Amino acid sequence: MNRLLASAFTLLVLASPAAAQSITVAVAADIRSNNPGVNRDDNTDDFALQLVEGLVGYNEGGVATPLLAEKVDLSADGKTYTFTLRQGVKFHNGAELSSADVLWSWNRYMDPKTDWRCTSEFDGRSGLKVEAVTAPDARTVVMQIDKPNALFLDTLARTDCAMTAILHKDSVKADGSWDKPIGTGPYKFGEWKRGEYFTMTAFEGYKSPSGGQRDGYVGSKRPLLKEVKFLVVKDPATVKAGLISGALDMAEILPSDAAELKKSPKLSVAAEPNAVRHVFLIQTKDAVMGNQKLRQAIAASLDMDEIVASFYNDLGKPNTSPIYSGSSYFGEVEKKGHVYDPDRAKKLLQEAGYKGEKIVILANKRPTVPSFPAAVVAQQMLQAVGVNAEIEVLDWATQLDRFNKGNYQMQSFSFSARFDPAIAFEQFSGPKDKQPRKTWDNPDAQKQIDKLYVTSDRAERQKIVDELHKRVIDEVPMIFAFNGLDIIAHAKRVQGFKPWQSKLRMWEVTLAN
Amino acid sequence: MLRFALTRILMSVPTLLIVSVSVFALIRLIPGDPASLMLGDLATPASIADLQARLGLDQSLPVQFGIWFGNLLKGDLGQSINSQQAVLPLILQRFWISAQIVLVAVALASLVAVPAGVLAAWKQDTSLDLSLVAVATLLLSIPTFWLGLLLLLFFGLKLEWLPVVGYVSIAESPLAGILYLIMPIMTLFLHEIGVILRMARASTLEVLRLDYITHARAKGLTEGAVLWNHAFKNAFGPTWTLIGLVLGNLLGGIAVVETVFTIPGLGRLLVDSIFARDYPVIQGCMLFVAFTYVLVNLVIDLCYPIFDPRVTAQ
Amino acid sequence: MRLPAPNALVGGTLIGFLVVVAAVSSVWTPYDPLRLSFRAKLAAPSGMHWLGTDEFGRDVLSRLMAGAATSVWISLLTVALAVSLGTVIGLFSGYVRGWVDRTIMAFNDALLAFPGILLALGLLAVVGANKYGIILALGIAYAPSVARIVRGTVLSLREREFISASRVMGNSEGFTMLRHILPNCIAPLTVLATSMFGWVLLAESSLSFLGLGVPPPAPTWGNMLAGSRPYIGQAVWLGIFPGLAISLTLLGINLLGDALRDKLDPRMRGAR
Repeated sequence: MNRLLASAFTLLVLASPAAAQSITVAVAADIRSNNPGVNRDDNTDDFALQLVEGLVGYNEGGVATPLLAEKVDLSADGKTYTFTLRQGVKFHNGAELSSADVLWSWNRYMDPKTDWRCTSEFDGRSGLKVEAVTAPDARTVVMQIDKPNALFLDTLARTDCAMTAILHKDSVKADGSWDKPIGTGPYKFGEWKRGEYFTMTAFEGYKSPSGGQRDGYVGSKRPLLKEVKFLVVKDPATVKAGLISGALDMAEILPSDAAELKKSPKLSVAAEPNAVRHVFLIQTKDAVMGNQKLRQAIAASLDMDEIVASFYNDLGKPNTSPIYSGSSYFGEVEKKGHVYDPDRAKKLLQEAGYKGEKIVILANKRPTVPSFPAAVVAQQMLQAVGVNAEIEVLDWATQLDRFNKGNYQMQSFSFSARFDPAIAFEQFSGPKDKQPRKTWDNPDAQKQIDKLYVTSDRAERQKIVDELHKRVIDEVPMIFAFNGLDIIAHAKRVQGFKPWQSKLRMWEVTLAN
Repeated sequence: MLRFALTRILMSVPTLLIVSVSVFALIRLIPGDPASLMLGDLATPASIADLQARLGLDQSLPVQFGIWFGNLLKGDLGQSINSQQAVLPLILQRFWISAQIVLVAVALASLVAVPAGVLAAWKQDTSLDLSLVAVATLLLSIPTFWLGLLLLLFFGLKLEWLPVVGYVSIAESPLAGILYLIMPIMTLFLHEIGVILRMARASTLEVLRLDYITHARAKGLTEGAVLWNHAFKNAFGPTWTLIGLVLGNLLGGIAVVETVFTIPGLGRLLVDSIFARDYPVIQGCMLFVAFTYVLVNLVIDLCYPIFDPRVTAQ
Repeated sequence: MRLPAPNALVGGTLIGFLVVVAAVSSVWTPYDPLRLSFRAKLAAPSGMHWLGTDEFGRDVLSRLMAGAATSVWISLLTVALAVSLGTVIGLFSGYVRGWVDRTIMAFNDALLAFPGILLALGLLAVVGANKYGIILALGIAYAPSVARIVRGTVLSLREREFISASRVMGNSEGFTMLRHILPNCIAPLTVLATSMFGWVLLAESSLSFLGLGVPPPAPTWGNMLAGSRPYIGQAVWLGIFPGLAISLTLLGINLLGDALRDKLDPRMRGAR
């Protein structure tokens, strides 16, 4: 009776329309806006990319692949890209996609008033300039760039740019202000109650790319659920309770809850590594940390297996390379990294002339990142070899501020996902006097990274990546520890779901009754 | 009385002014800023500067304050940096949610705890008194989030009587809305019983020792009459003040309960905005909480002479 | 000689036990409270670990003992700071009245209207995240409540006969204040201070819960309790024991506070 009463209300309240084909997914934070690539964060991108699509998108391995385009042709001089649009693609309002929409979207993005996150990536301020975009016919779009760039398509596909999504012009009101996203994605924007939930519904007229199989943001993308409701639930314990009770159908969970939730007869738990890299940053400009031998000693004192286990238990694996383990560039060289050797660490400490100076590790206690547990375990290991390590816990905004100012000795930190090695290295490499947030200040290495940006040859690129990896391991400007892990629990009746790069792709997901 | 009220309202103006200036200064003393938080680990100095300029954070602090304060006088609290919503409607919407929880919980707790406190004082040092105080002390000493979680596990998961996640406004669906509010209210209710009971007991004890009570007893009035006519009415003054304090503090401190039960109230809005360094929302929330607090205190003070005739309103 | 009151006895025993535990912990704990043990994560209470281990395999009993000293110390200093600050302000303000009172109360109300959380975060950020930051932040946050209660008492006492009598007898204002008004504030203050001790213990854990606290690897009961939340399903002992420790301490301190008030209340002197 009670159970009936409760579930009746739960259904009534949480999954009001078309309950049978709808699922409720918990998310930790509300979206910032429904304006793709403009007012955004990772969570907002995730939602936006269910609704809209770009000319190219990442495939499962992180390579930019045609999506709204059927094919992309590159001219011999490497400066002209010709996109041929797929036929029969429709916007949510029924209008057919044409090259005019691409032009309209592009011009809107390049208008400074739009505040698109990635305008500066294409207007020359970051080294890449799109000089002209033209539409010779309804199915063809030509983009001209100033000089060859190995990362042009990759930048278009970036999730924080919302895939440079093609929008219908009715997405903005007559006065030019934003209304709502009318895209070509498998789901349509539903409703949004700020701070509480946002929803999307299946787009009946969706035309899936061919490919038969789901593949990153490309491949088969059929919307098989009628409605998906994303409920904002901040507290992990509440999320857990909701999953167990059945009020929630899917949610990212804390690693510490994985084992317990796996045991539930109603739930499945899926875990997949992503391109987030958890790392111990080191300020090489610091009087103590400037000593390379000391940094090598610290690297040798860390038992990475235990550090991973402090957060992911038995689910994760160490990876001491800047290249994430799922990348196609992650090869034999990248597998060789720091080795746990406390005796060597002690010897190196002596050679470094370390006299017990205090080393402070900054960390934050956000429950979704390993910052704090990793720092606690590292501190213990450092103390075991005789390093006087301390932890200072800050709130995330403060820690980020210290990161941006370069004001720290060590930090337990996470680098957000970057697929291409060039961008992955650029993320932390550069001159500290100009950009204090940079952790690796080595002009020689920087030259190699710059080379990665213009080199298209796969083997050549791999050689540079291997070289850079070895340098990072030897110089220890920071210590990469392990990759992030998406751990998603979902009701068993939700079928065909697979976490991928922290995105909750709802296409090709079905509901068994 | 009217003059007293008017003076008090005038007096609250400097209070609110102090709050505005100090909140404005304080949140800018805290390291971290909204622009770099929004850009995360990929921010370049140029992109941060761009965003700051767009948010108006590149101007000098006095200028920023001047702009904000000028808008405030026009009744405009600005726009959230994160959600780009207007701050005032956002606050009012969230406040209503928190207020219904706090008011109901404190009202219920007062109804139970004030009589219980008087009773305990009257029966001082008996086993009844001891057990009432022990219960109050225990309730007082259980952290609200712990209590909330225990309730959640018991009523939500074990018995499945109440929903565990989400929130529905009463306006949308009255029955479901009430179901969602039961546990948060119960959590605060249990906690506040402890606070209020102890204070009511202490004030009554004070009064019971006073000479006029002895006189009243000497005059041969029944214990019940002494308790009601003299003790209870006089003891209510300090307790009333405390209830005011509790109400004011709860509005600021309800964030914990709102976090456990995922209720989009004012407390969570404030804490979230602090973490996100959403300056306009923090400033708006703080000013609003301060304003409400001043108002509550005014009402409490206006009522004080009613309960304690010895204090003349001035 | 009479036996002490039962509340003094129970309260004294609890607090005495606490003090002993805090003292012992500085010399000896069963294990090092900071020592991690990767093999014994979240182990249930057993002969080896009487109260089990936490998510890092640290011994809960040892951490509880070490935390006793820290938590009690933080709470005591905070209450002392809040009470002395608030009493001075309240006495002064309530006694002088007039525009001085109004000005002080305007500031007081402004402070009071700050949720402690924001004040704590702000001050912690400025002072630095350590236990003195917490003490300062919470001390300043709670002082206005003290000031308000003291002022209220002063206001209601002013009109009483014995205060007028003191004045009529030619005693100075200062003397009257210290001799007659301050002692009368002790009873409400004792009640307030004891509850405040509880508030501080709770505030510390609430701050940790919201992620604003000072969570050093060194244990406090507050951060142990806050840290236990994710494991409530798998390891109830993680939350139960610190919760119990806080509750028992509060029970003890409140009972002791009541007993103390009975002794200190001037009108009760020699009454029994």
